Amino acid sequence: MLLNIFGIEKPENSIEWMIFLAEKYAGMFWKGTVLTLLIAVLGTLLGFLLGYVIGIIQDAKIGRGDPVLRKAPIRLMKFIAAIYVEIFRDTPMIVQAMIIYFGIRQANIGITPVSAGVLVTVLNTGAYMAETVRAGIGSIDQGQREGAWAMGMSPMKTMLHIVLPQAFKNIIPEMANTFLTNLKMTSVLNVIAVQELFMAAKTVGGNYYKYFESYLVIAVIYFVLCFAFNKVFQFLEKRMGGKLDYALAVEYMDND
Amino acid sequence: MGETIISVQDLSKSFGDHEVLKKIDMDVHEGEIICIVGSSGSGKSTLLRCINRLERQTSGKILFKGTELRDVQREINEYRSRVGMVFQSFNLFHNMTVLENCMLCTRKVLHLPKEEAFDRAITHLKAVGMAPYIHARPSQLSGGQKQRVAIARSLCMNPEVLLFDEPTSALDPEMVGEVLNVMKKLALTGLTMVIVTHEMAFARDVSTRTIFMDGGYVVEDAPPSQLFTNPQNSRTREFLSRYLAG
Repeated sequence: MLLNIFGIEKPENSIEWMIFLAEKYAGMFWKGTVLTLLIAVLGTLLGFLLGYVIGIIQDAKIGRGDPVLRKAPIRLMKFIAAIYVEIFRDTPMIVQAMIIYFGIRQANIGITPVSAGVLVTVLNTGAYMAETVRAGIGSIDQGQREGAWAMGMSPMKTMLHIVLPQAFKNIIPEMANTFLTNLKMTSVLNVIAVQELFMAAKTVGGNYYKYFESYLVIAVIYFVLCFAFNKVFQFLEKRMGGKLDYALAVEYMDND
Repeated sequence: MGETIISVQDLSKSFGDHEVLKKIDMDVHEGEIICIVGSSGSGKSTLLRCINRLERQTSGKILFKGTELRDVQREINEYRSRVGMVFQSFNLFHNMTVLENCMLCTRKVLHLPKEEAFDRAITHLKAVGMAPYIHARPSQLSGGQKQRVAIARSLCMNPEVLLFDEPTSALDPEMVGEVLNVMKKLALTGLTMVIVTHEMAFARDVSTRTIFMDGGYVVEDAPPSQLFTNPQNSRTREFLSRYLAG
């Protein structure tokens, strides 16, 4: 027992209360951490996917002479994408959570708070990510596309093989940022009764009227999680830098 | 003279109020090596970009083997796969090695099997002396090397015409030579080429036809022997005197 290690029989100061609560409600904090991570990871990954799709749609080119059957759906998708991005960027996530959760319930569709939480995170992330992807696409020199177009690559293939891989690399720091933001933003999901970390702290704090200490416990947990992920991302980013040297293909050397 | 491959008819291009190309008429025949010369801002590059559909002309039309080009993306892609282009800034794909640069479009556009795409890439990289560098990334190459890879990459598509947009303008003098040598070798293979350039000696020695552009017009269009020794237009004379005096 942690308490015995520290020799605490009855907690007297805030530090001791934190240890006491953390130990007594370890299960709740653990479940909260797992749920927070689950929603953050799932929501962010799916959100990125959505963001890429929306970002690509927003960047899609329409040839002037293309058949109407090709033009119309692209125009419609662009229009829907633009509305979606605006709505989700211009309203708070906490309000989105309420509207989506209660909206779905009101439509008599069964949805658990966790699913609703993931859905809100995905939609929210997707909207921000769409803008990030668009900026990332815009940061790639136009010459990269022209080089591909000039050899007959379609704009979509050019996007997939040339532009996106380079844009992806450029927006890794922003994607890491988004994930860390999401990890912390899951805390607002307590308003729709998702049992994540914030909800755990709220419950635990209420049991002993020790809110300060209880929230300090999850502050430490959030901090450690974010700090650790940050380090991992920094490491990955460095590794993505690529090799600085290359091997000469000696088998072709004498053919100059 | 060979069959007409590209026919530019009454082509004009404006950027806003600025008219860059004014009613250009120009034919490219099979086997021709056309050099387009002229001062900066005369519309040479814009003409080339219009021919490759990277710019949309304001009016006029372009015919490829007698068929007018339309604005249908699928047709544009098909057309571009047969008309290659080499850029001033190389435009090698930064996320790929030299070999991948040369294989991407043969695989994804022409749908060649891997072995064939590889063989083509090696053949053309050998021809430009870049085969030993297949594993290098563009950022690890010098400008001249990049341009030679870019030329090899275009050749992998077996284009019917190859357009060059100031291929040596971004290179230092030493590297200009290595790229021009590659282009001279290419000229001997009978490939149809349209070259926008400031290299007058190259234009005079290699082209079968030289076009002088000024202020958005084709001012003079003649064999180099005539254009360089006996230019008909006073503007051409003025332009050439500055280059050939030294």
